[in-house]
Amino acid sequence: MSLVIKDLCARVKDGADILKGISLEIPKGRVHAVMGPNGSGKSTLSKVLCGHPDYEVTGGTAELDGQDLLSMSVDERSRAGLFLAFQYPVEVPGVTNANFLRAALQARLPQGETVDAVAFYKELRAKMKQLGMDAKFTARAVNEGFSGGEKKRNDILQMLMLQPSYAILDETDSGLDVDALRIVSDGVNAMRAPFRSFMVITHYKRLLDYIRPDVVHVLYQGRIVRTGGFELVERIEQEGFDFLKD
Amino acid sequence: MHAAHHSTPQLPDRLCEDWRFGAPHKHAAALAQMMRGCTRRGTITVEGADDAPGGWSVHGVRSIGSDALLALHQAAEGVGLYLQHDYAEPITITCETDGVYTPAVYIVARAGVHAHIIERHICRGEHSAMVCARRIVAEEGAQISVELQEEGCGTSRVLNITDITARGACVRHLTTHANHEWAREETTAEALGNAADIQLFSANRLEDSQMLDQHTRQLHSNRGCASNLLYKNVLDGRATAVFAGNIYVAPGAHDTDAYQSNRNMLLSENATMHSLPGLEILADRVRCSHGSASAPMDAEQLFYLLSRGIPRHQAQLLVAEGFLNDVHTRFQAE
Repeated sequence: MSLVIKDLCARVKDGADILKGISLEIPKGRVHAVMGPNGSGKSTLSKVLCGHPDYEVTGGTAELDGQDLLSMSVDERSRAGLFLAFQYPVEVPGVTNANFLRAALQARLPQGETVDAVAFYKELRAKMKQLGMDAKFTARAVNEGFSGGEKKRNDILQMLMLQPSYAILDETDSGLDVDALRIVSDGVNAMRAPFRSFMVITHYKRLLDYIRPDVVHVLYQGRIVRTGGFELVERIEQEGFDFLKD
Repeated sequence: MHAAHHSTPQLPDRLCEDWRFGAPHKHAAALAQMMRGCTRRGTITVEGADDAPGGWSVHGVRSIGSDALLALHQAAEGVGLYLQHDYAEPITITCETDGVYTPAVYIVARAGVHAHIIERHICRGEHSAMVCARRIVAEEGAQISVELQEEGCGTSRVLNITDITARGACVRHLTTHANHEWAREETTAEALGNAADIQLFSANRLEDSQMLDQHTRQLHSNRGCASNLLYKNVLDGRATAVFAGNIYVAPGAHDTDAYQSNRNMLLSENATMHSLPGLEILADRVRCSHGSASAPMDAEQLFYLLSRGIPRHQAQLLVAEGFLNDVHTRFQAE
Protein backbone atom coordinates (compact mmCIF):
# COMPACT_ATOMS: atom_id res chain seq x y z
CA MET A 1 0.00 0.00 0.00
CA SER A 2 1.63 3.18 -1.13
CA LEU A 3 1.57 6.31 -3.22
CA VAL A 4 3.36 5.42 -6.45
CA ILE A 5 4.30 8.09 -8.99
CA LYS A 6 5.89 7.02 -12.29
CA ASP A 7 7.38 9.29 -14.95
CA LEU A 8 4.91 12.04 -14.10
CA CYS A 9 5.03 14.94 -16.52
CA ALA A 10 2.84 18.04 -16.23
CA ARG A 11 2.63 21.58 -17.42
CA VAL A 12 0.73 24.73 -16.71
CA LYS A 13 -2.32 24.60 -18.98
CA ASP A 14 -1.26 25.93 -22.37
CA GLY A 15 2.07 26.86 -20.82
CA ALA A 16 5.50 25.61 -19.92
CA ASP A 17 6.40 22.07 -18.89
CA ILE A 18 7.10 21.96 -15.15
CA LEU A 19 7.32 18.31 -14.17
CA LYS A 20 9.57 16.33 -16.51
CA GLY A 21 9.32 12.74 -15.38
CA ILE A 22 8.94 12.37 -11.62
CA SER A 23 9.11 8.89 -10.13
CA LEU A 24 8.87 8.08 -6.45
CA GLU A 25 7.10 5.70 -4.10
CA ILE A 26 5.97 6.54 -0.58
CA PRO A 27 4.94 3.41 1.32
CA LYS A 28 2.47 3.59 4.20
CA GLY A 29 4.00 4.60 7.49
CA ARG A 30 6.84 6.61 5.90
CA VAL A 31 7.67 10.30 5.78
CA HIS A 32 9.36 11.55 2.62
CA ALA A 33 10.75 15.05 2.36
CA VAL A 34 10.89 16.89 -0.96
CA MET A 35 13.35 19.76 -1.14
CA GLY A 36 14.53 21.91 -3.99
CA PRO A 37 15.22 25.48 -5.05
CA ASN A 38 12.47 27.92 -5.98
CA GLY A 39 10.78 27.04 -9.26
CA SER A 40 11.89 23.42 -9.25
CA GLY A 41 8.30 22.11 -9.34
CA LYS A 42 7.62 21.17 -5.70
CA SER A 43 4.29 22.97 -5.37
CA THR A 44 3.32 21.92 -8.89
CA LEU A 45 3.85 18.29 -7.90
CA SER A 46 1.54 18.68 -4.90
CA LYS A 47 -1.15 20.43 -6.92
CA VAL A 48 -0.98 17.99 -9.82
CA LEU A 49 -1.44 15.08 -7.41
CA CYS A 50 -4.53 16.82 -5.98
CA GLY A 51 -5.95 17.63 -9.43
CA HIS A 52 -5.61 21.40 -9.59
CA PRO A 53 -7.32 22.62 -12.78
CA ASP A 54 -4.47 24.98 -13.71
CA TYR A 55 -2.23 22.03 -14.55
CA GLU A 56 -2.34 19.41 -17.23
CA VAL A 57 -0.76 15.98 -16.90
CA THR A 58 1.10 15.20 -20.10
CA GLY A 59 2.49 11.82 -19.17
CA GLY A 60 3.08 9.20 -16.50
CA THR A 61 0.92 7.72 -13.76
CA ALA A 62 0.09 8.18 -10.08
CA GLU A 63 -1.56 5.51 -7.99
CA LEU A 64 -2.96 5.68 -4.48
CA ASP A 65 -3.17 2.21 -2.95
CA GLY A 66 -3.45 0.77 -6.45
CA GLN A 67 -6.17 3.21 -7.60
CA ASP A 68 -5.53 5.47 -10.58
CA LEU A 69 -5.29 8.85 -8.87
CA LEU A 70 -5.17 10.89 -12.07
CA SER A 71 -8.53 9.65 -13.31
CA MET A 72 -10.30 10.80 -10.13
CA SER A 73 -11.94 14.18 -9.61
CA VAL A 74 -10.44 16.52 -7.01
CA ASP A 75 -12.99 15.64 -4.33
CA GLU A 76 -12.71 11.91 -5.05
CA ARG A 77 -8.95 12.09 -4.46
CA SER A 78 -9.56 13.63 -1.08
CA ARG A 79 -12.13 11.04 -0.10
CA ALA A 80 -9.72 8.34 -1.29
CA GLY A 81 -7.36 9.54 1.44
CA LEU A 82 -5.19 12.29 -0.08
CA PHE A 83 -4.73 15.59 1.74
CA LEU A 84 -2.86 18.76 0.80
CA ALA A 85 -1.86 21.35 3.37
CA PHE A 86 -1.56 24.40 1.14
CA GLN A 87 1.40 26.74 0.87
CA TYR A 88 -1.13 29.58 0.74
CA PRO A 89 -4.44 28.45 2.28
CA VAL A 90 -7.38 30.18 0.62
CA GLU A 91 -9.90 32.44 2.37
CA VAL A 92 -13.52 31.38 1.92
CA PRO A 93 -15.72 34.27 3.12
CA GLY A 94 -19.04 33.46 4.75
CA VAL A 95 -18.36 29.73 5.26
CA THR A 96 -17.57 28.96 8.88
CA ASN A 97 -14.78 26.59 9.80
CA ALA A 98 -17.28 24.34 11.58
CA ASN A 99 -19.66 24.11 8.61
CA PHE A 100 -16.77 23.57 6.23
CA LEU A 101 -15.35 20.68 8.26
CA ARG A 102 -18.77 19.14 8.84
CA ALA A 103 -19.43 19.18 5.09
CA ALA A 104 -16.05 17.54 4.46
CA LEU A 105 -16.71 14.83 7.08
CA GLN A 106 -20.28 14.34 5.89
CA ALA A 107 -18.99 13.70 2.37
CA ARG A 108 -17.03 10.73 3.73
CA LEU A 109 -20.05 9.02 5.29
CA PRO A 110 -22.23 6.44 3.54
CA GLN A 111 -25.54 7.75 2.21
CA GLY A 112 -28.16 8.05 4.92
CA GLU A 113 -25.67 8.66 7.72
CA THR A 114 -25.08 12.10 9.21
CA VAL A 115 -22.30 13.58 11.29
CA ASP A 116 -23.06 13.46 15.02
CA ALA A 117 -23.02 17.15 15.92
CA VAL A 118 -22.15 16.69 19.59
CA ALA A 119 -19.28 14.30 18.90
CA PHE A 120 -18.09 16.53 16.04
CA TYR A 121 -17.82 19.67 18.17
CA LYS A 122 -16.19 17.77 21.01
CA GLU A 123 -13.52 16.42 18.67
CA LEU A 124 -13.11 19.76 16.93
CA ARG A 125 -12.52 21.61 20.20
CA ALA A 126 -10.04 18.94 21.35
CA LYS A 127 -8.02 19.20 18.13
CA MET A 128 -8.06 23.00 18.28
CA LYS A 129 -6.76 22.86 21.81
CA GLN A 130 -4.02 20.52 20.66
CA LEU A 131 -2.95 23.12 18.08
CA GLY A 132 -3.29 26.05 20.48
CA MET A 133 -6.23 27.52 18.54
CA ASP A 134 -8.93 29.60 20.21
CA ALA A 135 -12.42 28.02 20.19
CA LYS A 136 -13.80 31.15 18.53
CA PHE A 137 -12.22 29.99 15.26
CA THR A 138 -15.03 27.44 14.83
CA ALA A 139 -17.46 30.28 14.01
CA ARG A 140 -15.01 32.30 11.92
CA ALA A 141 -15.14 32.11 8.13
CA VAL A 142 -12.50 29.75 6.73
CA ASN A 143 -9.14 31.55 6.89
CA GLU A 144 -10.77 34.97 6.46
CA GLY A 145 -8.72 37.59 8.25
CA PHE A 146 -6.42 34.90 9.68
CA SER A 147 -2.72 35.63 10.00
CA GLY A 148 -0.35 33.53 7.90
CA GLY A 149 0.39 31.32 10.90
CA GLU A 150 -3.29 30.90 11.77
CA LYS A 151 -4.03 29.78 8.23
CA LYS A 152 -1.34 27.13 8.40
CA ARG A 153 -2.65 25.90 11.74
CA ASN A 154 -6.14 25.79 10.30
CA ASP A 155 -4.94 23.55 7.47
CA ILE A 156 -3.32 21.23 9.98
CA LEU A 157 -6.56 21.26 12.00
CA GLN A 158 -8.36 20.06 8.89
CA MET A 159 -5.79 17.30 8.49
CA LEU A 160 -6.27 16.21 12.09
CA MET A 161 -10.05 16.13 11.63
CA LEU A 162 -10.08 14.37 8.24
CA GLN A 163 -7.41 11.78 9.14
CA PRO A 164 -6.07 11.22 5.61
CA SER A 165 -3.92 8.23 4.59
CA TYR A 166 -1.55 10.40 2.56
CA ALA A 167 -0.78 13.96 3.51
CA ILE A 168 1.23 16.42 1.46
CA LEU A 169 2.50 19.41 3.45
CA ASP A 170 3.50 22.17 1.02
CA GLU A 171 5.87 24.54 2.82
CA THR A 172 3.78 24.37 5.96
CA ASP A 173 6.67 25.97 7.84
CA SER A 174 6.61 29.21 5.87
CA GLY A 175 5.01 31.99 7.88
CA LEU A 176 5.20 30.12 11.18
CA ASP A 177 7.08 31.46 14.17
CA VAL A 178 9.23 29.14 16.26
CA ASP A 179 6.48 28.27 18.74
CA ALA A 180 3.85 27.71 16.05
CA LEU A 181 6.30 25.55 14.09
CA ARG A 182 6.77 23.32 17.13
CA ILE A 183 3.03 23.06 17.81
CA VAL A 184 2.20 22.27 14.18
CA SER A 185 5.04 19.74 13.97
CA ASP A 186 3.83 18.07 17.17
CA GLY A 187 0.39 17.81 15.57
CA VAL A 188 1.87 16.14 12.48
CA ASN A 189 4.07 13.82 14.51
CA ALA A 190 1.05 12.76 16.59
CA MET A 191 -0.52 11.57 13.35
CA ARG A 192 2.42 9.48 12.24
CA ALA A 193 1.22 5.90 12.05
CA PRO A 194 1.93 2.68 10.14
CA PHE A 195 -1.19 3.27 8.04
CA ARG A 196 -0.37 6.85 7.04
CA SER A 197 2.37 8.53 5.04
CA PHE A 198 3.54 12.09 4.48
CA MET A 199 5.22 14.07 1.75
CA VAL A 200 6.81 17.09 3.41
CA ILE A 201 7.79 19.85 1.00
CA THR A 202 10.13 22.43 2.44
CA HIS A 203 13.12 24.65 1.83
CA TYR A 204 14.46 24.44 5.35
CA LYS A 205 16.03 21.97 7.70
CA ARG A 206 14.26 23.44 10.72
CA LEU A 207 10.92 21.74 9.84
CA LEU A 208 12.68 18.42 9.21
CA ASP A 209 14.36 18.68 12.59
CA TYR A 210 10.87 18.40 14.06
CA ILE A 211 9.30 16.08 11.48
CA ARG A 212 12.13 13.68 10.85
CA PRO A 213 11.87 12.19 7.32
CA ASP A 214 12.71 8.61 6.41
CA VAL A 215 13.70 9.55 2.86
CA VAL A 216 14.72 12.86 1.29
CA HIS A 217 14.24 13.73 -2.40
CA VAL A 218 15.70 16.74 -4.12
CA LEU A 219 13.71 18.20 -7.00
CA TYR A 220 15.51 20.28 -9.57
CA GLN A 221 14.19 21.57 -12.88
CA GLY A 222 11.21 19.25 -12.78
CA ARG A 223 13.12 16.08 -12.00
CA ILE A 224 14.17 14.24 -8.86
CA VAL A 225 17.94 14.47 -9.03
CA ARG A 226 18.91 13.10 -5.62
CA THR A 227 17.34 10.67 -3.16
CA GLY A 228 18.90 9.87 0.18
CA GLY A 229 18.69 10.19 3.92
CA PHE A 230 18.96 13.09 6.33
CA GLU A 231 22.52 13.74 5.17
CA LEU A 232 21.04 15.38 2.07
CA VAL A 233 19.22 17.85 4.31
CA GLU A 234 22.46 18.62 6.13
CA ARG A 235 24.29 19.17 2.85
CA ILE A 236 21.63 21.52 1.50
CA GLU A 237 21.69 23.43 4.76
CA GLN A 238 25.46 23.89 4.47
CA GLU A 239 25.94 24.31 0.72
CA GLY A 240 22.61 25.44 -0.64
CA PHE A 241 21.43 23.91 -3.91
CA ASP A 242 24.50 24.82 -5.95
CA PHE A 243 25.88 21.29 -5.83
CA LEU A 244 22.95 20.20 -8.00
CA LYS A 245 24.44 22.09 -10.92
CA ASP A 246 27.54 19.89 -10.94
CA MET B 1 -56.82 56.19 -0.07
CA HIS B 2 -55.90 58.36 -2.98
CA ALA B 3 -52.74 58.77 -4.92
CA ALA B 4 -51.08 62.12 -4.79
CA HIS B 5 -51.08 62.69 -8.50
CA HIS B 6 -54.07 64.11 -10.38
CA SER B 7 -52.73 63.31 -13.81
CA THR B 8 -51.01 59.98 -14.35
CA PRO B 9 -47.43 60.33 -15.59
CA GLN B 10 -46.37 58.30 -18.59
CA LEU B 11 -45.47 54.68 -18.04
CA PRO B 12 -41.73 54.03 -18.22
CA ASP B 13 -40.25 52.83 -21.48
CA ARG B 14 -36.73 51.92 -22.60
CA LEU B 15 -35.86 55.54 -23.19
CA CYS B 16 -36.25 56.10 -19.46
CA GLU B 17 -32.72 55.80 -18.04
CA ASP B 18 -33.95 54.26 -14.78
CA TRP B 19 -35.66 51.46 -16.73
CA ARG B 20 -32.98 50.97 -19.38
CA PHE B 21 -32.28 47.31 -18.52
CA GLY B 22 -35.55 46.56 -16.70
CA ALA B 23 -37.67 45.36 -19.65
CA PRO B 24 -40.35 48.04 -19.07
CA HIS B 25 -42.36 47.04 -22.17
CA LYS B 26 -42.91 43.67 -20.53
CA HIS B 27 -43.05 44.28 -16.81
CA ALA B 28 -44.03 47.90 -16.22
CA ALA B 29 -46.81 47.56 -18.78
CA ALA B 30 -48.01 44.32 -17.20
CA LEU B 31 -48.06 45.82 -13.69
CA ALA B 32 -49.96 48.87 -14.92
CA GLN B 33 -52.49 46.69 -16.69
CA MET B 34 -53.00 44.54 -13.61
CA MET B 35 -53.43 47.55 -11.33
CA ARG B 36 -55.89 49.14 -13.71
CA GLY B 37 -57.92 46.06 -14.49
CA CYS B 38 -57.91 43.75 -11.50
CA THR B 39 -59.48 43.91 -8.08
CA ARG B 40 -56.75 44.27 -5.49
CA ARG B 41 -56.75 41.33 -3.13
CA GLY B 42 -54.42 40.36 -0.34
CA THR B 43 -53.82 40.63 3.37
CA ILE B 44 -51.52 42.67 5.54
CA THR B 45 -50.93 41.66 9.15
CA VAL B 46 -48.72 42.96 11.93
CA GLU B 47 -47.33 40.94 14.83
CA GLY B 48 -45.35 42.25 17.76
CA ALA B 49 -46.46 45.90 17.74
CA ASP B 50 -49.13 47.20 20.09
CA ASP B 51 -50.32 49.96 17.79
CA ALA B 52 -50.41 49.54 14.04
CA PRO B 53 -53.20 51.63 12.53
CA GLY B 54 -54.21 51.14 8.93
CA GLY B 55 -55.15 53.81 6.42
CA TRP B 56 -52.02 55.46 5.17
CA SER B 57 -51.66 57.19 1.80
CA VAL B 58 -48.66 56.75 -0.53
CA HIS B 59 -48.30 60.50 -0.79
CA GLY B 60 -44.75 61.76 -0.76
CA VAL B 61 -42.84 58.54 -1.46
CA ARG B 62 -39.96 59.22 -3.85
CA SER B 63 -39.64 56.73 -6.70
CA ILE B 64 -36.72 56.20 -9.05
CA GLY B 65 -38.42 56.13 -12.43
CA SER B 66 -41.80 54.68 -11.47
CA ASP B 67 -43.99 57.70 -10.74
CA ALA B 68 -46.64 56.36 -13.12
CA LEU B 69 -46.81 53.03 -11.34
CA LEU B 70 -46.82 54.79 -7.98
CA ALA B 71 -49.76 56.89 -9.14
CA LEU B 72 -51.65 53.72 -10.06
CA HIS B 73 -50.68 52.14 -6.76
CA GLN B 74 -53.52 53.69 -4.71
CA ALA B 75 -52.88 51.56 -1.65
CA ALA B 76 -55.56 48.95 -1.16
CA GLU B 77 -54.49 48.75 2.43
CA GLY B 78 -51.81 50.49 4.35
CA VAL B 79 -50.31 49.92 7.73
CA GLY B 80 -48.53 52.46 9.89
CA LEU B 81 -46.12 51.64 12.68
CA TYR B 82 -45.62 54.55 15.03
CA LEU B 83 -42.86 53.34 17.31
CA GLN B 84 -42.64 55.31 20.53
CA HIS B 85 -40.69 52.89 22.72
CA ASP B 86 -38.09 50.16 22.34
CA TYR B 87 -39.13 46.75 21.09
CA ALA B 88 -37.10 43.84 22.40
CA GLU B 89 -38.60 41.37 19.93
CA PRO B 90 -38.87 41.84 16.16
CA ILE B 91 -42.07 43.30 14.74
CA THR B 92 -43.29 41.31 11.74
CA ILE B 93 -45.39 42.76 8.92
CA THR B 94 -46.69 40.18 6.44
CA CYS B 95 -48.23 41.09 3.09
CA GLU B 96 -49.64 38.19 1.13
CA THR B 97 -51.48 37.83 -2.16
CA ASP B 98 -52.57 35.32 -4.75
CA GLY B 99 -53.65 38.06 -7.18
CA VAL B 100 -52.70 41.71 -7.39
CA TYR B 101 -52.02 43.62 -4.22
CA THR B 102 -50.79 47.14 -3.52
CA PRO B 103 -50.00 47.54 0.15
CA ALA B 104 -48.43 50.60 1.73
CA VAL B 105 -46.21 50.52 4.78
CA TYR B 106 -45.34 53.55 6.85
CA ILE B 107 -42.86 53.20 9.71
CA VAL B 108 -42.03 56.08 12.02
CA ALA B 109 -39.51 55.56 14.81
CA ARG B 110 -39.61 58.32 17.41
CA ALA B 111 -36.43 59.73 18.91
CA GLY B 112 -34.22 57.18 20.63
CA VAL B 113 -36.34 54.12 19.77
CA HIS B 114 -34.64 50.78 19.08
CA ALA B 115 -36.58 48.28 16.97
CA HIS B 116 -36.15 45.48 14.44
CA ILE B 117 -38.84 45.09 11.79
CA ILE B 118 -39.22 42.13 9.47
CA GLU B 119 -41.42 42.73 6.46
CA ARG B 120 -42.44 39.68 4.44
CA HIS B 121 -44.00 39.93 1.01
CA ILE B 122 -45.43 36.66 -0.20
CA CYS B 123 -46.85 36.10 -3.70
CA ARG B 124 -48.56 32.73 -3.81
CA GLY B 125 -50.69 32.68 -6.94
CA GLU B 126 -49.47 32.05 -10.48
CA HIS B 127 -48.66 35.39 -12.14
CA SER B 128 -49.50 37.25 -8.95
CA ALA B 129 -48.05 40.69 -8.36
CA MET B 130 -47.36 43.05 -5.49
CA VAL B 131 -46.54 46.73 -5.71
CA CYS B 132 -45.56 48.11 -2.33
CA ALA B 133 -44.90 51.71 -1.37
CA ARG B 134 -42.92 52.10 1.83
CA ARG B 135 -41.87 55.05 3.86
CA ILE B 136 -39.47 54.75 6.77
CA VAL B 137 -38.72 57.72 8.99
CA ALA B 138 -36.34 57.52 11.95
CA GLU B 139 -35.94 60.47 14.27
CA GLU B 140 -33.00 61.72 16.36
CA GLY B 141 -31.11 58.88 18.05
CA ALA B 142 -33.44 56.11 16.85
CA GLN B 143 -31.82 52.85 15.78
CA ILE B 144 -33.96 50.67 13.60
CA SER B 145 -33.27 47.76 11.30
CA VAL B 146 -35.72 46.74 8.62
CA GLU B 147 -35.48 43.42 6.83
CA LEU B 148 -37.52 42.99 3.66
CA GLN B 149 -37.99 39.35 2.68
CA GLU B 150 -39.48 38.74 -0.75
CA GLU B 151 -40.91 35.32 -1.53
CA GLY B 152 -42.34 34.61 -4.97
CA CYS B 153 -43.89 31.61 -6.68
CA GLY B 154 -41.76 31.47 -9.82
CA THR B 155 -44.11 33.51 -12.03
CA SER B 156 -44.76 36.47 -9.72
CA ARG B 157 -43.71 40.10 -10.08
CA VAL B 158 -42.94 42.58 -7.35
CA LEU B 159 -42.12 46.26 -7.23
CA ASN B 160 -40.95 47.91 -4.01
CA ILE B 161 -40.65 51.65 -3.81
CA THR B 162 -38.96 52.54 -0.56
CA ASP B 163 -38.26 55.98 0.83
CA ILE B 164 -36.06 56.18 3.93
CA THR B 165 -35.35 59.29 5.95
CA ALA B 166 -32.87 59.07 8.82
CA ARG B 167 -32.92 62.31 10.76
CA GLY B 168 -29.96 62.03 13.13
CA ALA B 169 -30.80 58.33 13.37
CA CYS B 170 -29.33 54.97 12.39
CA VAL B 171 -31.30 52.94 9.86
CA ARG B 172 -30.21 49.55 8.59
CA HIS B 173 -32.09 48.07 5.67
CA LEU B 174 -31.71 44.59 4.18
CA THR B 175 -33.56 43.10 1.22
CA THR B 176 -33.60 39.49 0.03
CA HIS B 177 -35.42 38.09 -2.97
CA ALA B 178 -36.43 34.52 -3.66
CA ASN B 179 -38.26 33.04 -6.57
CA HIS B 180 -39.93 36.01 -8.27
CA GLU B 181 -39.93 36.00 -12.05
CA TRP B 182 -39.26 39.72 -11.93
CA ALA B 183 -38.54 42.04 -9.05
CA ARG B 184 -37.68 45.71 -8.96
CA GLU B 185 -36.55 47.82 -6.05
CA GLU B 186 -36.32 51.58 -5.93
CA THR B 187 -34.74 52.66 -2.67
CA THR B 188 -34.18 56.28 -1.79
CA ALA B 189 -32.33 56.85 1.48
CA GLU B 190 -31.76 60.33 2.81
CA ALA B 191 -29.39 61.11 5.66
CA LEU B 192 -30.37 64.29 7.47
CA GLY B 193 -29.62 66.04 10.72
CA ASN B 194 -26.89 65.23 13.16
CA ALA B 195 -24.65 62.25 12.29
CA ALA B 196 -27.32 60.17 10.59
CA ASP B 197 -26.13 56.74 9.51
CA ILE B 198 -27.84 54.64 6.83
CA GLN B 199 -26.74 51.12 5.98
CA LEU B 200 -28.27 49.47 2.92
CA PHE B 201 -27.80 45.77 2.27
CA SER B 202 -29.13 43.26 -0.22
CA ALA B 203 -28.32 39.58 -0.80
CA ASN B 204 -29.98 37.56 -3.52
CA ARG B 205 -29.67 34.29 -5.35
CA LEU B 206 -31.22 34.30 -8.81
CA GLU B 207 -31.66 31.37 -11.16
CA ASP B 208 -33.55 30.21 -14.25
CA SER B 209 -34.66 33.37 -16.06
CA GLN B 210 -35.38 35.47 -12.98
CA MET B 211 -34.70 39.17 -13.10
CA LEU B 212 -33.88 41.60 -10.31
CA ASP B 213 -33.71 45.30 -11.10
CA GLN B 214 -32.33 47.39 -8.20
CA HIS B 215 -32.02 51.16 -8.07
CA THR B 216 -30.73 53.11 -5.12
CA ARG B 217 -30.11 56.69 -4.13
CA GLN B 218 -28.08 57.68 -1.10
CA LEU B 219 -28.87 61.34 -0.52
CA HIS B 220 -26.71 63.48 1.73
CA SER B 221 -28.29 66.85 2.34
CA ASN B 222 -26.61 67.80 5.62
CA ARG B 223 -23.00 67.70 6.71
CA GLY B 224 -21.41 64.96 8.80
CA CYS B 225 -23.70 62.05 7.92
CA ALA B 226 -22.80 58.55 6.76
CA SER B 227 -24.23 55.95 4.43
CA ASN B 228 -23.00 52.61 3.26
CA LEU B 229 -24.37 50.21 0.69
CA LEU B 230 -23.45 46.57 0.07
CA TYR B 231 -25.52 44.70 -2.54
CA LYS B 232 -24.54 41.17 -3.57
CA ASN B 233 -26.08 38.75 -6.04
CA VAL B 234 -25.41 35.18 -7.09
CA LEU B 235 -26.70 34.58 -10.60
CA ASP B 236 -27.23 31.18 -12.19
CA GLY B 237 -29.00 29.93 -15.31
CA ARG B 238 -30.21 32.78 -17.52
CA ALA B 239 -30.84 35.14 -14.62
CA THR B 240 -30.36 38.88 -15.05
CA ALA B 241 -29.73 41.53 -12.44
CA VAL B 242 -29.40 45.27 -12.62
CA PHE B 243 -27.81 47.51 -10.03
CA ALA B 244 -27.93 51.24 -10.59
CA GLY B 245 -26.88 53.23 -7.56
CA ASN B 246 -26.13 56.85 -6.97
CA ILE B 247 -24.58 58.69 -4.06
CA TYR B 248 -25.57 62.33 -4.09
CA VAL B 249 -23.78 64.73 -1.78
CA ALA B 250 -25.51 68.10 -1.84
CA PRO B 251 -23.67 71.45 -1.76
CA GLY B 252 -22.70 72.11 1.84
CA ALA B 253 -22.94 68.47 2.97
CA HIS B 254 -19.30 68.48 3.98
CA ASP B 255 -17.67 65.71 6.02
CA THR B 256 -19.89 63.10 4.44
CA ASP B 257 -18.90 59.41 4.58
CA ALA B 258 -20.65 57.49 1.81
CA TYR B 259 -19.78 54.16 0.28
CA GLN B 260 -21.36 51.89 -2.27
CA SER B 261 -20.32 48.38 -3.23
CA ASN B 262 -22.00 45.99 -5.65
CA ARG B 263 -20.56 42.46 -5.89
CA ASN B 264 -21.89 39.72 -8.12
CA MET B 265 -21.02 36.08 -8.57
CA LEU B 266 -21.90 34.59 -11.95
CA LEU B 267 -22.36 30.82 -11.92
CA SER B 268 -23.45 30.52 -15.53
CA GLU B 269 -22.20 31.87 -18.83
CA ASN B 270 -25.78 32.79 -19.66
CA ALA B 271 -26.33 34.96 -16.58
CA THR B 272 -26.18 38.73 -17.08
CA MET B 273 -25.29 41.53 -14.69
CA HIS B 274 -25.64 45.24 -15.44
CA SER B 275 -23.94 47.28 -12.74
CA LEU B 276 -23.94 51.07 -12.78
CA PRO B 277 -22.55 52.55 -9.57
CA GLY B 278 -22.45 56.32 -9.43
CA LEU B 279 -21.29 59.32 -7.43
CA GLU B 280 -22.32 62.95 -7.57
CA ILE B 281 -20.40 65.08 -5.10
CA LEU B 282 -21.06 68.78 -4.73
CA ALA B 283 -19.39 69.32 -1.36
CA ASP B 284 -15.85 69.43 0.01
CA ARG B 285 -14.11 67.27 2.58
CA VAL B 286 -16.01 64.10 1.82
CA ARG B 287 -15.01 60.47 1.92
CA CYS B 288 -16.92 58.67 -0.81
CA SER B 289 -16.25 55.59 -2.87
CA HIS B 290 -18.12 53.28 -5.14
CA GLY B 291 -17.19 49.97 -6.67
CA SER B 292 -18.55 47.08 -8.58
CA ALA B 293 -17.26 43.62 -9.44
CA SER B 294 -18.93 40.80 -11.35
CA ALA B 295 -17.05 37.56 -11.81
CA PRO B 296 -17.41 33.79 -11.84
CA MET B 297 -16.93 31.87 -8.62
CA ASP B 298 -13.35 32.08 -7.40
CA ALA B 299 -11.67 28.94 -8.77
CA GLU B 300 -9.19 28.76 -5.88
CA GLN B 301 -11.97 28.86 -3.28
CA LEU B 302 -13.80 26.09 -5.10
CA PHE B 303 -10.62 24.01 -5.40
CA TYR B 304 -9.99 24.42 -1.67
CA LEU B 305 -13.38 22.93 -0.80
CA LEU B 306 -13.06 20.17 -3.40
CA SER B 307 -9.61 19.30 -2.05
CA ARG B 308 -11.27 18.50 1.27
CA GLY B 309 -13.58 15.99 -0.38
CA ILE B 310 -16.71 18.14 -0.59
CA PRO B 311 -18.58 17.19 -3.81
CA ARG B 312 -18.59 19.85 -6.51
CA HIS B 313 -22.28 20.73 -6.36
CA GLN B 314 -22.20 21.15 -2.60
CA ALA B 315 -18.91 23.03 -2.71
CA GLN B 316 -20.40 25.52 -5.19
CA LEU B 317 -23.44 25.90 -2.98
CA LEU B 318 -21.29 26.56 0.10
CA VAL B 319 -19.12 29.15 -1.64
CA ALA B 320 -22.18 30.92 -3.08
CA GLU B 321 -23.98 30.87 0.28
CA GLY B 322 -20.85 32.15 1.96
CA PHE B 323 -20.65 35.00 -0.53
CA LEU B 324 -24.17 36.08 0.46
CA ASN B 325 -23.81 35.20 4.17
CA ASP B 326 -21.24 37.93 4.38
CA VAL B 327 -24.06 40.46 3.80
CA HIS B 328 -26.26 38.97 6.53
CA THR B 329 -23.33 38.93 8.94
CA ARG B 330 -22.63 42.60 8.32
CA PHE B 331 -26.31 43.51 8.62
CA GLN B 332 -26.48 41.78 11.99
CA ALA B 333 -23.11 43.00 13.21
CA GLU B 334 -23.50 46.69 12.50
